[in-house]
Amino acid sequence: MIEVEKVCKSYGPVQAVKDVSFSIQKGEIMGLLGPNGAGKTTIMKALTCYHYPTSGRITLDGIDAVENPQEVRMRIGYLPESAPVYPELHVSEYLDFIARVRGLKGERKTQFLKEAVQECALERYLHHPVGILSKGYRQRVGLAQAILHKPDILILDEPTTGLDPNQILEIRGLIRNLGKEKTVILSTHILQEVEAVCDRVLILNDGSILAEGTTGEIERSMKGELVYSLLLKGEIGDGAKEDLENRPGVVKVNALEASDRGFRLECTMDQGEDPGEILFDWAVEKGYKILSMTPVRMSLEDIFTKLTKEGGAYVS
Amino acid sequence: MFRNLYAVTMKELKSYFNTPIAYIFIIFLLVSTSVSLFYFQQFLGANVASFRGYFSTFPLVFIFLLPALTMRGWAEERKMGTDEILLTLPIKEYDLVLGKFFGALTLLVLVLFLTIPVPLMLAPLGNFDPGQLAGEYLGALLLGAAGISIGLFVSSLAVNQVNSFMFGVLALLAFTMMGRLQYVLNLPLRLSGILDFISLDYHFRSFVKGIIDLRDLGYFILLTFFFLFLNGKVISLRKWG
Repeated sequence: MIEVEKVCKSYGPVQAVKDVSFSIQKGEIMGLLGPNGAGKTTIMKALTCYHYPTSGRITLDGIDAVENPQEVRMRIGYLPESAPVYPELHVSEYLDFIARVRGLKGERKTQFLKEAVQECALERYLHHPVGILSKGYRQRVGLAQAILHKPDILILDEPTTGLDPNQILEIRGLIRNLGKEKTVILSTHILQEVEAVCDRVLILNDGSILAEGTTGEIERSMKGELVYSLLLKGEIGDGAKEDLENRPGVVKVNALEASDRGFRLECTMDQGEDPGEILFDWAVEKGYKILSMTPVRMSLEDIFTKLTKEGGAYVS
Repeated sequence: MFRNLYAVTMKELKSYFNTPIAYIFIIFLLVSTSVSLFYFQQFLGANVASFRGYFSTFPLVFIFLLPALTMRGWAEERKMGTDEILLTLPIKEYDLVLGKFFGALTLLVLVLFLTIPVPLMLAPLGNFDPGQLAGEYLGALLLGAAGISIGLFVSSLAVNQVNSFMFGVLALLAFTMMGRLQYVLNLPLRLSGILDFISLDYHFRSFVKGIIDLRDLGYFILLTFFFLFLNGKVISLRKWG
C-alpha cells in the first residue's frame, strides 16, 4: 500500500534521512521509533507531501507523492507533531473548515463531523476557541481533524507526547481501534508505546533504519530477560551449539569467548516457557557443569540506547 | 473548483474576526482617515467640494495598517506549525495563496464600505463629483489589493509576526514613496521617471483625481498578481527546502 524507496532528505547541509526504504501493508499499525532527530518526522512529512524527498520515491497505492500530491493527501489523515492548532478558531469552525476542504458537504458532512467529534469526545468543547483547551484536548482536536474524512491511512506524529498517563492510555486505545480498519503510521520515542500499539516497528537513528520487524521479532531480539548468558565448565563439544539451538524454546545460540574456566554461550529464548529450566535440563543431559547462568538483564531503554548508539542489524 | 478557495477565505475571515485584528484594523482606518480629513486638512474650512484630501491619506494609512492585517498570514502559520496541516490538506498552493488574499481583501472591502458615510454625510455641503468619488474608491481598493499582496508575500518569507509587520511596513513604504525620492535626492531624470512609474503613490494619485487610466489599472492588477505569484512560488519551493 505504501512504498518508500531509497528516500533521502536533506535540509541544506543536514542530511535528515539517508536512503530509507520500507513498505507498509494495508491494515498495519506501523511504529516509527527513534530518538529525537532520528528522522521520524521528516519521513512523515515526506509521506504527507509537506516536503518532497531530495531523492528516492514514495508511492501510495501506486500514486507518486511528488507527481500527484493532491491525490496522496486526499487518502491521508495527518496529525503533525505537537498537534498545531489555530488558537482563535472554535473547535466547530476549525473542523468545519477541514470538512469543507476534504470535500464533504450536506448530510455527509454533518454525519462525518458528528462521528469524528464523538470518537474524540469533543462534544463539550465544540464552541470553545481551540486556544483555551488543554494539551490533551488540542491533541484530540488534531486527531479529529485527521480522521474526519475517514482516510485509509493515518499518519500520527508523536500522538501521545505531552499527555498525562490517562490521556495516553485513551489515545492509544483510540489508535488501536482505528488501526482495526485503517493503516496507521505513528512515530514515538517511547518504547512501551510501540509494544502497546504497533504491529510492526521501524527503528530509526540518525536518518537510517536500524531495525525493522514485527513487535514480536523486535522484542525477541531486544528484550533483556530472554537472553541468558551460560557459563559451562570444560570445552565446548562438537555440535553442542546446534543441538541446543534445536531444542524447543531456544531461538538462537551464540558461542562467545572460551576461557580457562570454561566457555560461554549466549542463548536467546522464547517467551512463555521457563527458559532457565530448558537450559539446565539440556546441560544435565549433555553432562555439562553449569558454572553460572545469568539472565542478561537490560531494560528496554538500555537496549534502545545500545541500538541507537552503536548501530544494529536488521531483524527481519 | 472554488470550494477550497472559499473555504480558505472563510477560515481567514473567521480568524480575523475571532481576534481583535479585524476590529482594530477597521476602527484605526476609519478614525485615522477622518481625523486627517477634519483635523489636519481642515476639510470644512477649506471650502473645496472634493474628497481628494480624504483619499490621499489612504496610502500613508495603508503603509501601517495593511501589514498589520497580513503579518499573520504565513508567518504565524509557520510559527504555530499549522502550515503543516494546511499544506498537507488536498488544497492547491494557489488556492491557499488566493484564499488568504481574498480573506484580507474582504476585510478591506468591508472597511471601504464603512467609510461611505463620510462622503455621504458631506455630500449635501457642496457640488461633489460622484464619478470622481467612484474613481477614488476604485483606486483605494486597487491600492489596498496591491498592498495586501505585498504584505502576504513578505509574511511568507518572515519568521514571525513582528518581523513580518516590520518588513511589510518597509516594503510598502518603499513601494509607496519611491517616486518621491526625486524631491530629496538629485536623481537623473530617467531614473526618477522609472521610480515614479513603479511607485504605488504615483498611480494612485490619478485615481484620486478621478482619472481612470488603463495603465494605472494595469499596473495595480499586475503588481498584485506578481506578488501573489511570488508568494505561491515561495510556498511551493519550500517543499524542496
